[in-house]
Amino acid sequence: MIIHLGHYLALSCVLFSIGAAGFLFRRNVLISLMSIELMMNAVNLTFIAANRWQPLVTSADGTATAAIPHHGHLFTFFVIAVAAAEAAVGLAIVLAFYRLRKTVRTDAADMLRG
Amino acid sequence: MPPASIQQLAAFSFFAALAVVSALATVMMRNPIRNAVGLFVHVLSLAGLYVSLSAHFLTAVQLIVYVGAVVVLFVFVIMLLGPASEAPSDTAGRLPRGIGAAAMIAAGVFLARVVIDLRPERVANPPGFGTIETVGRELFGPAMIPFEMASVLLTAAIVGAFAVARSHHGKVSMSTGEPSDGSSR
Repeated sequence: MIIHLGHYLALSCVLFSIGAAGFLFRRNVLISLMSIELMMNAVNLTFIAANRWQPLVTSADGTATAAIPHHGHLFTFFVIAVAAAEAAVGLAIVLAFYRLRKTVRTDAADMLRG
Repeated sequence: MPPASIQQLAAFSFFAALAVVSALATVMMRNPIRNAVGLFVHVLSLAGLYVSLSAHFLTAVQLIVYVGAVVVLFVFVIMLLGPASEAPSDTAGRLPRGIGAAAMIAAGVFLARVVIDLRPERVANPPGFGTIETVGRELFGPAMIPFEMASVLLTAAIVGAFAVARSHHGKVSMSTGEPSDGSSR
């Protein structure tokens, strides 16, 4: 049995659904943020696996060149940068929220309710 | 079967199983520190999968940014909150939440069964694929402007995190909860 792109994509689907289910089910803000990180990591795995199985770029005279662009890697790099920023801001919001409500339950975040 | 594909299969099976188990631990454990440890193991196992896809630069980035920064930040916040980080469980609204979570799992498993048969032809590993040099050349070539925008985003995120996380209006000291003058900030 040889590992194919489909195996990586299936694993990524399962990991994303675990993250999405955790985001929907848990009421702890910290665990919601961790579930978001799980989903982002699953998408990163998709990008990198698809980049690895990208078809060869053929030049004008029909010969296959070895240069495969790293577009999936670049996307993953930027997703990681955005995830780091999101974690920093999200955890700062958790701290401010805890200072207001003395809890980290998502139900307690109803300050915008009229 | 050539030995290389056996190694590949073993590495993929090990890291995939570890990733799924640690992802489940991340969302299901009660104690938030255990969730953070689950996230830690998950990130490490994904780094192993990146190695198997010959994405060496991103393996390093994953280890530095996720293990070194994000998980540590989570652990810091959990320790700062102390026992309050473990929200008390309640059963209200458990059924709709459970239905939503089960629907997500079902959709994920269905989609996984669809895509697992994708078998495009894998090209030979070109020299220098995924190394710091080749990815860096693209990062500072075609992707130069997004790269600089990412640095602006990170700066804005740092300033925003400071602005949000410091004491409310800067008037209440966090450790004592009493009003303090501006000098202690």
